[in-house]
Amino acid sequence: MIPVCPLANLPRGEAHRLDVDPPIAVFHTEDGEIYAVDDTCTHQDASLSDGWLEGCEIECPLHASSFDLRTGRPSSPPAKLPLRTHRVVVSDDTVYVVPSEEPPNLPPGVRAGTV
Amino acid sequence: MTARSLPPSVIATLPGGHYTDENIFALEQTRIFESMWFCVARASDLGKPGAFRTVQVGRESVLVTRARDDSIRAFLNVCRHRGARIRTEESGEVKRAFQCPYHAWTYDLEGKLIAAPNLTKMPDLDRVEYGLVNVAVREWMGYVWVCLADEPPSFEVDVIGEATVRLGDERAIESYDIANLAVGRRIVYDVRANWKLIVENFMECYHCATIHPELTEVLPEFADGYAAQSFVGHGAEFGEEIRGFTVDGSAGVDRIPGVGEEQDRRYYAITIKPQVFVNLVPDHVIWHRMFPLAADRTIVECDWLFLKDVVDAGTDLGPSVELFHRVNEQDFAACERCQPAMSSRAYAQGGVLVPSEHHIGAFHDWVINRLGAGSG
Repeated sequence: MIPVCPLANLPRGEAHRLDVDPPIAVFHTEDGEIYAVDDTCTHQDASLSDGWLEGCEIECPLHASSFDLRTGRPSSPPAKLPLRTHRVVVSDDTVYVVPSEEPPNLPPGVRAGTV
Repeated sequence: MTARSLPPSVIATLPGGHYTDENIFALEQTRIFESMWFCVARASDLGKPGAFRTVQVGRESVLVTRARDDSIRAFLNVCRHRGARIRTEESGEVKRAFQCPYHAWTYDLEGKLIAAPNLTKMPDLDRVEYGLVNVAVREWMGYVWVCLADEPPSFEVDVIGEATVRLGDERAIESYDIANLAVGRRIVYDVRANWKLIVENFMECYHCATIHPELTEVLPEFADGYAAQSFVGHGAEFGEEIRGFTVDGSAGVDRIPGVGEEQDRRYYAITIKPQVFVNLVPDHVIWHRMFPLAADRTIVECDWLFLKDVVDAGTDLGPSVELFHRVNEQDFAACERCQPAMSSRAYAQGGVLVPSEHHIGAFHDWVINRLGAGSG
Protein backbone atom coordinates (compact mmCIF):
# COMPACT_ATOMS: atom_id res chain seq x y z
CA MET A 1 0.00 0.00 0.00
CA ILE A 2 1.53 3.28 -1.12
CA PRO A 3 0.63 6.61 0.51
CA VAL A 4 -0.54 9.18 -2.08
CA CYS A 5 -1.34 12.38 -0.21
CA PRO A 6 -3.50 13.73 2.61
CA LEU A 7 -7.16 13.61 1.60
CA ALA A 8 -7.34 17.38 2.16
CA ASN A 9 -4.81 17.88 -0.67
CA LEU A 10 -7.05 16.13 -3.19
CA PRO A 11 -10.26 18.17 -3.44
CA ARG A 12 -13.18 17.03 -5.58
CA GLY A 13 -12.53 17.48 -9.29
CA GLU A 14 -8.77 17.22 -8.83
CA ALA A 15 -6.14 14.66 -9.72
CA HIS A 16 -2.84 13.60 -8.20
CA ARG A 17 -0.03 11.96 -10.16
CA LEU A 18 1.84 9.38 -8.13
CA ASP A 19 5.40 9.14 -9.38
CA VAL A 20 5.83 5.37 -9.30
CA ASP A 21 6.81 3.18 -12.23
CA PRO A 22 4.63 3.29 -14.23
CA PRO A 23 2.93 6.37 -12.73
CA ILE A 24 -0.55 6.17 -11.22
CA ALA A 25 -3.25 8.86 -11.41
CA VAL A 26 -5.61 9.28 -8.48
CA PHE A 27 -8.86 11.18 -9.09
CA HIS A 28 -11.40 12.62 -6.68
CA THR A 29 -14.67 12.93 -8.58
CA GLU A 30 -17.25 15.66 -8.07
CA ASP A 31 -19.46 12.94 -6.52
CA GLY A 32 -16.83 12.28 -3.87
CA GLU A 33 -15.49 8.95 -5.14
CA ILE A 34 -11.76 8.33 -5.34
CA TYR A 35 -10.33 6.20 -8.15
CA ALA A 36 -6.80 5.22 -9.15
CA VAL A 37 -5.78 4.14 -12.65
CA ASP A 38 -2.55 4.09 -14.66
CA ASP A 39 -1.60 7.69 -15.43
CA THR A 40 -0.31 6.97 -18.94
CA CYS A 41 -2.86 6.86 -21.74
CA THR A 42 -2.76 3.50 -23.53
CA HIS A 43 -2.80 5.25 -26.93
CA GLN A 44 0.19 7.60 -26.68
CA ASP A 45 2.42 8.79 -23.87
CA ALA A 46 0.35 11.47 -22.13
CA SER A 47 -0.50 12.05 -18.50
CA LEU A 48 -4.17 11.45 -17.70
CA SER A 49 -3.85 13.44 -14.47
CA ASP A 50 -3.49 16.46 -16.82
CA GLY A 51 -6.72 15.43 -18.52
CA TRP A 52 -10.34 16.39 -17.95
CA LEU A 53 -12.45 14.67 -15.34
CA GLU A 54 -16.18 14.44 -15.95
CA GLY A 55 -18.22 12.19 -13.71
CA CYS A 56 -16.43 8.84 -13.68
CA GLU A 57 -14.73 9.52 -17.01
CA ILE A 58 -11.27 10.85 -17.61
CA GLU A 59 -10.49 12.36 -21.02
CA CYS A 60 -6.91 12.31 -22.23
CA PRO A 61 -5.67 15.86 -22.91
CA LEU A 62 -3.85 14.79 -26.07
CA HIS A 63 -6.28 12.96 -28.33
CA ALA A 64 -9.48 12.92 -26.28
CA SER A 65 -9.54 9.18 -25.56
CA SER A 66 -11.87 8.62 -22.60
CA PHE A 67 -11.67 5.95 -19.91
CA ASP A 68 -14.15 4.80 -17.31
CA LEU A 69 -12.35 5.19 -13.98
CA ARG A 70 -14.35 2.37 -12.42
CA THR A 71 -13.24 -0.26 -14.92
CA GLY A 72 -10.32 1.35 -16.76
CA ARG A 73 -12.02 0.56 -20.07
CA PRO A 74 -11.76 3.01 -22.95
CA SER A 75 -15.15 4.58 -23.71
CA SER A 76 -13.99 6.77 -26.57
CA PRO A 77 -11.23 6.22 -29.18
CA PRO A 78 -8.44 6.39 -30.25
CA ALA A 79 -7.37 4.34 -27.18
CA LYS A 80 -8.29 0.67 -27.53
CA LEU A 81 -6.68 -0.99 -24.50
CA PRO A 82 -7.85 -0.54 -20.91
CA LEU A 83 -5.98 1.14 -18.09
CA ARG A 84 -5.26 -0.91 -15.01
CA THR A 85 -7.32 0.11 -12.00
CA HIS A 86 -5.77 0.22 -8.55
CA ARG A 87 -7.50 -0.22 -5.22
CA VAL A 88 -7.85 2.97 -3.17
CA VAL A 89 -7.81 3.02 0.62
CA VAL A 90 -8.53 6.12 2.69
CA SER A 91 -7.29 5.77 6.24
CA ASP A 92 -6.66 8.45 8.86
CA ASP A 93 -7.42 11.17 6.27
CA THR A 94 -4.68 9.87 4.00
CA VAL A 95 -5.17 8.40 0.54
CA TYR A 96 -3.35 5.15 -0.27
CA VAL A 97 -3.30 2.95 -3.35
CA VAL A 98 -2.68 -0.75 -3.65
CA PRO A 99 -1.03 -1.15 -7.07
CA SER A 100 -2.45 -3.75 -9.41
CA GLU A 101 -0.22 -6.74 -10.07
CA GLU A 102 -1.40 -7.17 -13.66
CA PRO A 103 0.90 -6.12 -16.51
CA PRO A 104 0.13 -2.51 -17.65
CA ASN A 105 -1.04 -1.61 -21.18
CA LEU A 106 1.53 1.06 -21.88
CA PRO A 107 1.52 2.88 -25.21
CA PRO A 108 4.14 2.20 -27.90
CA GLY A 109 7.58 3.39 -26.90
CA VAL A 110 6.84 3.47 -23.18
CA ARG A 111 8.05 0.59 -21.03
CA ALA A 112 7.89 0.17 -17.29
CA GLY A 113 11.31 0.76 -15.81
CA THR A 114 12.22 3.54 -18.26
CA VAL A 115 10.71 6.43 -16.29
CA MET B 1 10.80 64.88 -48.16
CA THR B 2 11.88 67.88 -50.21
CA ALA B 3 10.20 71.04 -49.04
CA ARG B 4 7.76 72.34 -51.59
CA SER B 5 6.85 75.93 -51.95
CA LEU B 6 3.09 76.05 -51.43
CA PRO B 7 0.57 78.90 -51.37
CA PRO B 8 -0.45 79.74 -47.77
CA SER B 9 -3.93 78.23 -48.05
CA VAL B 10 -2.69 74.70 -48.40
CA ILE B 11 -0.22 72.39 -46.73
CA ALA B 12 1.39 69.24 -48.09
CA THR B 13 0.08 65.71 -47.65
CA LEU B 14 2.45 62.80 -47.30
CA PRO B 15 4.21 61.86 -50.56
CA GLY B 16 2.45 59.16 -52.59
CA GLY B 17 5.05 56.56 -51.69
CA HIS B 18 3.88 56.54 -48.07
CA TYR B 19 0.72 54.83 -49.26
CA THR B 20 2.35 52.18 -51.45
CA ASP B 21 5.84 51.42 -50.16
CA GLU B 22 6.07 48.00 -48.50
CA ASN B 23 9.06 49.13 -46.44
CA ILE B 24 7.11 52.03 -45.00
CA PHE B 25 4.20 49.71 -44.31
CA ALA B 26 6.59 47.32 -42.54
CA LEU B 27 7.75 50.21 -40.33
CA GLU B 28 4.14 51.11 -39.59
CA GLN B 29 3.49 47.51 -38.59
CA THR B 30 6.30 47.46 -36.05
CA ARG B 31 6.24 51.03 -34.79
CA ILE B 32 2.53 51.69 -34.82
CA PHE B 33 0.34 48.56 -34.86
CA GLU B 34 2.66 46.33 -32.81
CA SER B 35 3.61 49.11 -30.41
CA MET B 36 0.26 50.72 -29.56
CA TRP B 37 -3.03 49.56 -28.08
CA PHE B 38 -5.01 47.95 -30.90
CA CYS B 39 -8.75 47.27 -30.70
CA VAL B 40 -9.41 43.70 -31.88
CA ALA B 41 -12.87 42.46 -30.93
CA ARG B 42 -16.14 43.10 -29.14
CA ALA B 43 -16.02 41.34 -25.77
CA SER B 44 -19.37 39.74 -26.60
CA ASP B 45 -17.71 38.04 -29.60
CA LEU B 46 -16.09 35.90 -26.93
CA GLY B 47 -19.34 34.85 -25.31
CA LYS B 48 -18.03 32.08 -23.06
CA PRO B 49 -14.81 30.35 -22.03
CA GLY B 50 -13.15 28.75 -25.05
CA ALA B 51 -14.72 31.10 -27.63
CA PHE B 52 -11.92 32.59 -29.69
CA ARG B 53 -11.04 34.95 -32.51
CA THR B 54 -7.87 35.26 -34.54
CA VAL B 55 -6.91 38.76 -35.63
CA GLN B 56 -4.03 40.33 -37.54
CA VAL B 57 -2.13 42.95 -35.54
CA GLY B 58 0.83 44.30 -37.46
CA ARG B 59 2.79 41.25 -38.66
CA GLU B 60 1.38 38.98 -35.99
CA SER B 61 -1.65 36.73 -35.83
CA VAL B 62 -3.15 37.04 -32.36
CA LEU B 63 -5.41 34.46 -30.73
CA VAL B 64 -7.96 36.12 -28.41
CA THR B 65 -10.06 34.00 -26.08
CA ARG B 66 -11.98 33.90 -22.83
CA ALA B 67 -10.48 31.81 -20.02
CA ARG B 68 -12.32 29.74 -17.40
CA ASP B 69 -12.31 32.65 -14.93
CA ASP B 70 -14.12 34.73 -17.60
CA SER B 71 -11.12 36.99 -18.16
CA ILE B 72 -10.09 37.72 -21.73
CA ARG B 73 -6.64 36.49 -22.79
CA ALA B 74 -4.60 37.03 -25.92
CA PHE B 75 -1.63 35.08 -27.25
CA LEU B 76 0.58 35.07 -30.30
CA ASN B 77 -1.01 32.41 -32.50
CA VAL B 78 2.15 30.31 -32.71
CA CYS B 79 2.93 26.89 -31.23
CA ARG B 80 6.01 27.07 -29.02
CA HIS B 81 7.20 23.71 -30.31
CA ARG B 82 7.79 24.06 -34.06
CA GLY B 83 5.86 27.21 -34.85
CA ALA B 84 2.64 25.96 -36.41
CA ARG B 85 -0.36 28.30 -36.32
CA ILE B 86 -2.57 27.14 -33.48
CA ARG B 87 -5.83 28.22 -35.14
CA THR B 88 -6.42 29.45 -38.69
CA GLU B 89 -10.18 30.19 -38.55
CA GLU B 90 -11.34 33.76 -37.91
CA SER B 91 -13.47 32.62 -34.99
CA GLY B 92 -14.61 29.49 -33.26
CA GLU B 93 -14.84 27.73 -29.96
CA VAL B 94 -12.72 25.14 -28.19
CA LYS B 95 -14.06 23.02 -25.39
CA ARG B 96 -11.13 23.09 -23.01
CA ALA B 97 -7.82 23.76 -24.64
CA PHE B 98 -5.96 24.90 -27.73
CA GLN B 99 -4.21 22.02 -29.38
CA CYS B 100 -1.66 22.45 -32.11
CA PRO B 101 -2.78 20.27 -35.03
CA TYR B 102 0.82 19.35 -35.88
CA HIS B 103 2.23 17.47 -32.84
CA ALA B 104 -0.66 17.97 -30.40
CA TRP B 105 1.07 20.35 -28.02
CA THR B 106 -1.89 21.38 -25.91
CA TYR B 107 -2.40 24.67 -24.06
CA ASP B 108 -5.10 25.58 -21.58
CA LEU B 109 -7.19 28.74 -21.96
CA GLU B 110 -4.61 30.67 -19.90
CA GLY B 111 -1.97 29.64 -22.43
CA LYS B 112 -0.13 27.19 -20.17
CA LEU B 113 1.28 24.05 -21.80
CA ILE B 114 -0.76 21.23 -20.29
CA ALA B 115 -0.03 18.26 -22.47
CA ALA B 116 2.19 17.05 -25.27
CA PRO B 117 3.26 13.61 -26.39
CA ASN B 118 5.98 12.36 -23.99
CA LEU B 119 5.79 15.57 -21.95
CA THR B 120 6.06 13.59 -18.73
CA LYS B 121 9.53 12.51 -19.88
CA MET B 122 10.56 16.17 -20.11
CA PRO B 123 9.99 17.40 -16.56
CA ASP B 124 12.53 20.16 -17.15
CA LEU B 125 10.22 21.84 -19.69
CA ASP B 126 8.52 24.58 -17.70
CA ARG B 127 4.85 24.62 -18.65
CA VAL B 128 4.43 28.37 -18.28
CA GLU B 129 7.73 29.23 -19.95
CA TYR B 130 6.74 27.00 -22.90
CA GLY B 131 3.15 28.19 -22.83
CA LEU B 132 1.71 30.43 -25.52
CA VAL B 133 3.26 33.90 -25.60
CA ASN B 134 0.96 36.30 -23.75
CA VAL B 135 -0.08 39.66 -25.13
CA ALA B 136 -1.36 42.52 -22.95
CA VAL B 137 -5.16 42.86 -22.89
CA ARG B 138 -7.51 45.64 -21.78
CA GLU B 139 -11.27 45.91 -21.99
CA TRP B 140 -12.85 49.31 -22.49
CA MET B 141 -16.28 50.26 -23.77
CA GLY B 142 -17.04 46.56 -24.23
CA TYR B 143 -14.14 46.18 -26.66
CA VAL B 144 -11.00 44.10 -26.33
CA TRP B 145 -7.73 45.90 -26.92
CA VAL B 146 -4.35 44.20 -27.14
CA CYS B 147 -0.83 45.54 -27.12
CA LEU B 148 2.07 43.56 -28.52
CA ALA B 149 4.73 45.80 -27.00
CA ASP B 150 6.87 44.40 -24.19
CA GLU B 151 6.03 47.51 -22.20
CA PRO B 152 2.62 48.76 -23.31
CA PRO B 153 2.08 52.51 -23.35
CA SER B 154 -0.50 54.06 -21.00
CA PHE B 155 -3.97 52.96 -22.05
CA GLU B 156 -5.41 55.89 -20.13
CA VAL B 157 -3.40 58.41 -22.13
CA ASP B 158 -3.37 56.80 -25.58
CA VAL B 159 -6.90 55.44 -25.78
CA ILE B 160 -9.15 57.03 -23.17
CA GLY B 161 -7.26 60.31 -23.57
CA GLU B 162 -7.93 60.48 -27.32
CA ALA B 163 -11.67 60.17 -26.82
CA THR B 164 -11.56 62.79 -24.09
CA VAL B 165 -9.60 65.29 -26.16
CA ARG B 166 -12.07 65.05 -29.04
CA LEU B 167 -15.19 65.30 -26.91
CA GLY B 168 -13.63 67.81 -24.53
CA ASP B 169 -14.96 65.99 -21.51
CA GLU B 170 -14.12 62.71 -19.84
CA ARG B 171 -17.75 61.88 -19.08
CA ALA B 172 -19.14 62.70 -22.53
CA ILE B 173 -18.49 59.21 -23.93
CA GLU B 174 -19.60 57.53 -20.68
CA SER B 175 -23.14 58.76 -21.18
CA TYR B 176 -23.57 56.39 -24.14
CA ASP B 177 -22.94 53.36 -21.86
CA ILE B 178 -21.16 51.70 -24.79
CA ALA B 179 -19.98 48.68 -22.77
CA ASN B 180 -23.58 47.60 -22.21
CA LEU B 181 -24.91 48.16 -25.71
CA ALA B 182 -25.49 45.16 -27.97
CA VAL B 183 -24.18 44.58 -31.48
CA GLY B 184 -27.25 45.04 -33.68
CA ARG B 185 -25.34 44.62 -36.90
CA ARG B 186 -21.75 44.04 -38.03
CA ILE B 187 -20.49 44.63 -41.55
CA VAL B 188 -16.96 43.78 -42.63
CA TYR B 189 -15.47 45.78 -45.49
CA ASP B 190 -12.43 44.61 -47.45
CA VAL B 191 -10.98 47.92 -48.59
CA ARG B 192 -8.29 48.03 -51.27
CA ALA B 193 -6.66 51.11 -49.84
CA ASN B 194 -3.92 52.14 -47.44
CA TRP B 195 -5.10 52.55 -43.85
CA LYS B 196 -3.97 56.19 -43.73
CA LEU B 197 -6.29 57.11 -46.60
CA ILE B 198 -9.15 55.76 -44.50
CA VAL B 199 -8.07 57.72 -41.40
CA GLU B 200 -7.66 60.92 -43.41
CA ASN B 201 -11.07 60.44 -44.99
CA PHE B 202 -12.68 59.98 -41.60
CA MET B 203 -11.05 63.12 -40.21
CA GLU B 204 -12.44 65.59 -42.73
CA CYS B 205 -15.82 66.48 -44.16
CA TYR B 206 -14.67 68.53 -47.13
CA HIS B 207 -15.91 65.58 -49.21
CA CYS B 208 -19.27 65.24 -47.45
CA ALA B 209 -21.43 67.36 -49.72
CA THR B 210 -19.97 65.62 -52.76
CA ILE B 211 -20.19 61.95 -51.84
CA HIS B 212 -22.57 61.70 -48.85
CA PRO B 213 -26.01 62.92 -49.98
CA GLU B 214 -27.89 61.00 -47.26
CA LEU B 215 -25.55 62.11 -44.47
CA THR B 216 -25.64 65.78 -45.40
CA GLU B 217 -29.44 65.56 -45.50
CA VAL B 218 -29.42 64.46 -41.85
CA LEU B 219 -26.55 66.76 -40.80
CA PRO B 220 -26.95 69.91 -42.94
CA GLU B 221 -23.84 71.60 -41.50
CA PHE B 222 -21.76 68.85 -43.13
CA ALA B 223 -22.57 70.45 -46.47
CA ASP B 224 -20.57 73.59 -45.70
CA GLY B 225 -17.26 71.85 -46.32
CA TYR B 226 -15.85 72.95 -42.98
CA ALA B 227 -17.04 70.25 -40.59
CA ALA B 228 -14.05 68.39 -39.27
CA GLN B 229 -12.65 66.55 -36.32
CA SER B 230 -10.62 69.55 -35.29
CA PHE B 231 -13.46 71.03 -33.23
CA VAL B 232 -13.47 69.97 -29.61
CA GLY B 233 -16.74 68.81 -28.10
CA HIS B 234 -18.76 69.86 -31.11
CA GLY B 235 -21.56 67.61 -32.23
CA ALA B 236 -23.09 68.23 -35.65
CA GLU B 237 -26.78 69.01 -35.22
CA PHE B 238 -29.55 67.10 -36.96
CA GLY B 239 -31.54 69.05 -39.54
CA GLU B 240 -34.85 70.55 -38.41
CA GLU B 241 -37.03 68.07 -40.29
CA ILE B 242 -34.88 65.13 -39.28
CA ARG B 243 -36.42 62.76 -36.74
CA GLY B 244 -33.53 60.33 -36.33
CA PHE B 245 -30.07 59.31 -37.54
CA THR B 246 -31.49 57.13 -40.31
CA VAL B 247 -31.05 56.84 -44.05
CA ASP B 248 -34.27 58.78 -44.73
CA GLY B 249 -34.37 60.94 -41.61
CA SER B 250 -37.20 58.87 -40.16
CA ALA B 251 -37.36 58.25 -36.41
CA GLY B 252 -34.65 56.01 -35.03
CA VAL B 253 -34.99 53.63 -32.10
CA ASP B 254 -35.02 54.16 -28.30
CA ARG B 255 -32.57 56.80 -27.16
CA ILE B 256 -29.72 55.68 -24.90
CA PRO B 257 -30.93 56.85 -21.45
CA GLY B 258 -27.65 58.45 -20.39
CA VAL B 259 -27.52 60.76 -23.42
CA GLY B 260 -28.17 64.26 -22.13
CA GLU B 261 -30.20 67.04 -23.71
CA GLU B 262 -27.02 68.74 -24.94
CA GLN B 263 -26.00 65.54 -26.75
CA ASP B 264 -29.46 64.79 -28.13
CA ARG B 265 -30.01 65.30 -31.87
CA ARG B 266 -26.28 65.56 -32.37
CA TYR B 267 -23.56 63.48 -34.02
CA TYR B 268 -20.05 63.17 -32.61
CA ALA B 269 -17.06 61.50 -34.28
CA ILE B 270 -13.85 60.35 -32.64
CA THR B 271 -10.66 58.85 -34.07
CA ILE B 272 -8.65 56.78 -31.64
CA LYS B 273 -5.30 56.32 -33.33
CA PRO B 274 -4.22 54.20 -34.97
CA GLN B 275 -7.27 52.17 -36.04
CA VAL B 276 -10.55 53.00 -34.30
CA PHE B 277 -13.32 55.38 -35.35
CA VAL B 278 -16.35 55.98 -33.18
CA ASN B 279 -19.58 57.78 -34.08
CA LEU B 280 -22.04 58.71 -31.37
CA VAL B 281 -25.69 59.48 -32.06
CA PRO B 282 -28.50 59.55 -29.49
CA ASP B 283 -29.82 56.05 -30.13
CA HIS B 284 -26.75 54.15 -31.32
CA VAL B 285 -23.01 54.00 -31.59
CA ILE B 286 -21.06 53.07 -34.71
CA TRP B 287 -17.66 51.56 -33.92
CA HIS B 288 -15.09 50.86 -36.64
CA ARG B 289 -11.95 48.76 -36.20
CA MET B 290 -9.38 48.73 -38.99
CA PHE B 291 -7.01 45.83 -39.61
CA PRO B 292 -4.30 47.00 -42.00
CA LEU B 293 -3.12 43.90 -43.91
CA ALA B 294 -0.89 45.41 -46.59
CA ALA B 295 0.12 48.81 -47.93
CA ASP B 296 -2.91 48.66 -50.22
CA ARG B 297 -5.38 46.60 -48.24
CA THR B 298 -7.32 47.21 -45.01
CA ILE B 299 -10.13 45.21 -43.46
CA VAL B 300 -12.67 47.37 -41.62
CA GLU B 301 -15.06 45.76 -39.17
CA CYS B 302 -17.94 48.05 -38.31
CA ASP B 303 -20.39 47.43 -35.46
CA TRP B 304 -23.71 49.18 -34.98
CA LEU B 305 -24.45 49.15 -31.25
CA PHE B 306 -27.92 49.71 -29.81
CA LEU B 307 -29.63 49.27 -26.46
CA LYS B 308 -29.81 45.58 -25.66
CA ASP B 309 -33.61 45.72 -25.30
CA VAL B 310 -33.90 47.26 -28.75
CA VAL B 311 -31.84 44.47 -30.33
CA ASP B 312 -33.52 41.70 -28.31
CA ALA B 313 -36.97 42.94 -29.32
CA GLY B 314 -36.08 42.39 -32.98
CA THR B 315 -36.61 46.09 -33.75
CA ASP B 316 -36.04 47.02 -37.39
CA LEU B 317 -32.54 48.51 -37.38
CA GLY B 318 -32.41 48.73 -41.16
CA PRO B 319 -32.91 52.49 -41.61
CA SER B 320 -30.34 53.26 -38.87
CA VAL B 321 -27.71 50.83 -40.18
CA GLU B 322 -28.28 51.79 -43.80
CA LEU B 323 -27.26 55.41 -43.29
CA PHE B 324 -23.73 54.80 -42.13
CA HIS B 325 -23.35 51.67 -44.26
CA ARG B 326 -23.87 53.93 -47.26
CA VAL B 327 -21.43 56.47 -45.82
CA ASN B 328 -18.88 53.66 -45.38
CA GLU B 329 -19.34 52.42 -48.93
CA GLN B 330 -19.07 55.96 -50.28
CA ASP B 331 -15.94 56.65 -48.23
CA PHE B 332 -14.22 53.37 -49.02
CA ALA B 333 -14.95 53.79 -52.74
CA ALA B 334 -13.25 57.21 -52.53
CA CYS B 335 -10.24 55.69 -50.76
CA GLU B 336 -10.03 52.90 -53.34
CA ARG B 337 -10.14 55.55 -56.05
CA CYS B 338 -7.09 57.23 -54.53
CA GLN B 339 -5.02 54.11 -53.88
CA PRO B 340 -3.97 53.33 -57.49
CA ALA B 341 -3.03 56.97 -58.00
CA MET B 342 -0.68 57.04 -55.02
CA SER B 343 2.07 55.57 -57.20
CA SER B 344 1.50 58.08 -60.00
CA ARG B 345 4.19 60.55 -61.03
CA ALA B 346 1.52 63.21 -60.45
CA TYR B 347 1.41 62.35 -56.75
CA ALA B 348 5.11 61.61 -56.13
CA GLN B 349 5.34 64.65 -53.85
CA GLY B 350 1.81 64.18 -52.59
CA GLY B 351 -1.14 66.52 -52.80
CA VAL B 352 -2.39 69.37 -50.65
CA LEU B 353 -4.67 69.85 -47.65
CA VAL B 354 -7.12 72.75 -47.77
CA PRO B 355 -7.77 74.75 -44.56
CA SER B 356 -10.62 72.50 -43.36
CA GLU B 357 -8.20 69.57 -43.73
CA HIS B 358 -5.17 71.18 -42.11
CA HIS B 359 -5.64 69.14 -38.92
CA ILE B 360 -4.82 66.04 -41.00
CA GLY B 361 -1.30 67.49 -41.15
CA ALA B 362 -1.03 66.72 -37.42
CA PHE B 363 -1.90 63.11 -38.19
CA HIS B 364 0.84 63.02 -40.84
CA ASP B 365 3.34 64.51 -38.39
CA TRP B 366 2.32 61.90 -35.87
CA VAL B 367 2.87 59.06 -38.38
CA ILE B 368 6.28 60.43 -39.43
CA ASN B 369 7.25 60.77 -35.78
CA ARG B 370 6.27 57.19 -34.99
CA LEU B 371 8.20 55.86 -37.98
CA GLY B 372 11.27 57.76 -36.87
CA ALA B 373 10.99 56.54 -33.29
CA GLY B 374 13.79 54.16 -32.40
CA SER B 375 15.37 54.28 -35.84
CA GLY B 376 19.11 54.66 -36.35
